[in-house]
Order: sequence, then structure tokens, then C-alpha cells
Amino acid sequence: MTLPGNSMRNTSITRRGASVAALAFFGAALSAASPALAQSGARDPAAEAFVQTKAQRVISVLASKSMSEAQKKQVFHQAVDELADVPRITNFVLGKYARTITPEQRARFTPVFRTYAENVYQSRISDYRGEQLKVTGSVVRKPGDVIVNTVVAGGQLSQPVPVSWRVLNSGGAWKVVDVQFKGIWLAITQQQDFVSTIDNAGGNIDVLINQLQKGGSGRR
Amino acid sequence: MRDRHQSARPQGFRRHLAVGALAAAGLLAAASNAQAQAEPAPLASAGPAANDPLEGFNRASFKLGMGLDRALLAPITHGYMAVTPRVVRDRVSLVIYNMGEPNTVMNQVLQGKPRQAVRSSTRFVVNSTVGVAGLFDVAAKMGLPPRGADFGQTFGRWGAGPGAYIYVPLMGPLNVRDGVGRALDIVTDPVSLFVGGLDTDFGRARTAITVVDLRATTDSAYEALKDASDPYVTTRSAYAQYREAFVREATGESEALPDFDAPPSEPNTSSATPNP
Repeated sequence: MTLPGNSMRNTSITRRGASVAALAFFGAALSAASPALAQSGARDPAAEAFVQTKAQRVISVLASKSMSEAQKKQVFHQAVDELADVPRITNFVLGKYARTITPEQRARFTPVFRTYAENVYQSRISDYRGEQLKVTGSVVRKPGDVIVNTVVAGGQLSQPVPVSWRVLNSGGAWKVVDVQFKGIWLAITQQQDFVSTIDNAGGNIDVLINQLQKGGSGRR
Repeated sequence: MRDRHQSARPQGFRRHLAVGALAAAGLLAAASNAQAQAEPAPLASAGPAANDPLEGFNRASFKLGMGLDRALLAPITHGYMAVTPRVVRDRVSLVIYNMGEPNTVMNQVLQGKPRQAVRSSTRFVVNSTVGVAGLFDVAAKMGLPPRGADFGQTFGRWGAGPGAYIYVPLMGPLNVRDGVGRALDIVTDPVSLFVGGLDTDFGRARTAITVVDLRATTDSAYEALKDASDPYVTTRSAYAQYREAFVREATGESEALPDFDAPPSEPNTSSATPNP
């Protein structure tokens, strides 16, 4: 099932590369014919290594027993920057409103969203209290757009929890843009939440910003 | 797989009911299959667009459901979580899961997955006996991890799309496919039919424990909803993604994801939106 696409990324075009390309082409044709095979895209070892290191770091920080809460918050803030493409996510969660938001609103939304997301995800990830992350595989959707599959285990988890990470490569650097847990993508869900809130406010983005400052609908 | 419960006597009436329900399900699946083919690729456009024609009604249902949850189910569940340690609750979850395993087997057969069905049957036999009525998942340690299946998933495997979203108070989020699936799961459940349904103390206790167990295992999701700015839409989105992922486990299809950088060029819901 593993297509030899990995070697394609790094080697220059050699004869071997050409035959690999041919194989990949027929592989693609084959998988188009059979939906069952479509899932088995090539793996991407660089993306996998990135997630293994950086996502493990975030999890280790939150599971740490030696750091104080204030310390954790600070280190988590840095670790998020290394792991995630925060500007891209900030833009994505606005959905169609990313095109109509004013520069002034964007300047307000950006830090508010960051604080909101960090608070929410810090407490949510801490709830799961997993300790080790292990990459189990990856699927290249297209070059530079990869889903990395992992399991998080240990700590207080009675059984390993599968978590997938969508990583994009821009300018040679990998960054996570979305995380999937039980089939649910967090950024996609966040986007639908935000867009609906703005829709119901008649398109007024300030309403969302004010609500996020208060910390969601249920905690006032 | 039927004669595992030698003690239980199948009742003719119930059996007919089950067969009738199955036939109805087949028709439904065929109908929605035809419909799915008539409307190509509902998911392909701007990510998972919501199919929610009854949104007004559903929002009211959601409000009622969350109110009932706060007044009734949440206090019971939090009491249960307060008096039982995590290990005990995990055991309870395993027992409940084990009683659902025959239903899983039935659906894996209907999905044309005989190997999975054999694995699930083995799980049920091993865990019901060596695992003491399902208290211990011995089978998982033997290399037979749990793999769920239900009628909603089976319809998905047969090609049915999810259909319209519905929120039912105390039952939670559903769509047409999974609502019909849920009803069938209940009326054709082998354990209810052969051991005891809602007319027995066993059946009533099982149902009550199933509800509280489900609420307890999803408690963190209820907590997370408090952070949402529109909890109704967050629930709808999360449920749709969760179920589609579950159906993809059976179909083996890969997921259609939105392009991350290009914001949708036109509003992704049809509701009129005045732009500022």
C-alpha cells in the first residue's frame, strides 16, 4: 500500500525517479478507480518528524508536573508558535468574513482570538492528560498539504487516543493548521461557530470579537 | 451468532418486527442511495456545508434539550461521576459496549465485512465469558481491538447521504440517516430481543445506565460547548464530522477537506447576510 512517493520529494530526477513517477501515476489512476485504495497516499517523513517533535513538546509541557501553571502558560504560548501557523488559522476561522473584515477589526480580532484559543485549548488538552505522542503514519493530500496521524497515550488515558494533524508547508517550514480528534477538525468547527455567530449578528464582526473577549457563550 | 444466548427464547412477534424493520431500512437506503446519485457530491464544495432546513425548529429543540440536560441529566451524571472512580466508570462503559457487540456484528455482516464480523463475534464471546460479562476487555489484549458499527454507518456504507440535520431533546443531534439507523439499532438489537427489552427490569436498567454512561463519556464535550460562541452550530458541525468520519471507517473513502487558504468565495450558507 505504501507508494514510493517519499523518495520522489528529495531526489533529483533520475531514471529511478522517472520510474517512481510512472508508478505513482499508475498508482493514482488505480486509486481513482477504486475508492478503497484512495486513502493510501504517500507518506511524508519530514511532516511526520515535525509533528513528532513539536506536538510532543506541547503535550509534554501540559503534562509536566514540575512546572507551575504560570510557567506552563508561558511555555505553551511559545510552543504553539513553533507548532501552529497562528496567522493562517486566525484567517481561516473567519471563513467568508476574512474577505470583508476591516484592518481595524482584524487588529482587534487577532490578539483576542489568540488568547481565547490558548485558554480553551490549554484546558482542553490538559483534560486528556496524555503524555506520549507517537506518529503512526501520514497521507499526502498534495505536496505540502499532509495529514499526520498520531496516537496519544500514557498519563491518565486508559487507552491510546488517535489524533490527526493537518500540516502545511510554506517556504520550507512545516506548520500545523488543524487538529482532528474523533473525526472532528477543530479549526473547521471553530470556523462554522464563528461564521454563524457573525451571520446571526447581521454580519457584524464586532459582536464576535466582544463575545470572545468575554470567553464564549456559556462562561460569563 | 444467534444461539449464543441459549437461555433466551426468541419471540416470534419480535422477530417479525425486526425483519419488517430491516426491510424498511433496505428501502430507505435504496431510496436515499438513488437520491444521493441524483444530487452529486454534496460535500465537495466548501467543506462540510450544513444541511439544516429545520434550523428554527432545531434551535428551539436544542435549547430545550440543553435545558433538560442542565436540570436533569447533568446533575445525575455528575453525581454518578462524583461517587464512582474512573476505573469503575470504565468498567461500566465496557459492559455497555459489550452488550452492543451483537448489534455491531449484525451490521458488519450487512456491510459485507465477514472478517470484521468474526472478530467482533469473538470479542463478544471472549469478553462475555473470560472478561466476566464484559467487565474486562480481554479480547483487546489478544489483538482484537473494538471496532464499532451501527445502522447509520451501514446505510452510509450502502451509499446513503446523511440527509437533513435534526436535534431531538434528550437524544441529541441526529440526521435522517442516523436517526432511522438509531431506531433500527434499538428495535433489532439482539440483546434486547433475546435477553430482555424495555419491558424487563434488565432492559430498563440497561437503558438508564447506557444514557448516563454516554452522558458521562461525553461530559468534556458538553464542557467544551460552553466555550463556543454559537453552541448550536458547534454541536451540529462536530456531530456531522464525527458521523461522517465513522461512516468513512466503513467505506474507506478519503476525506474532502476545504482549501485552507482561500476563504469561500460565496456565503457557504444560503441565509441572506448583509455585508458591512
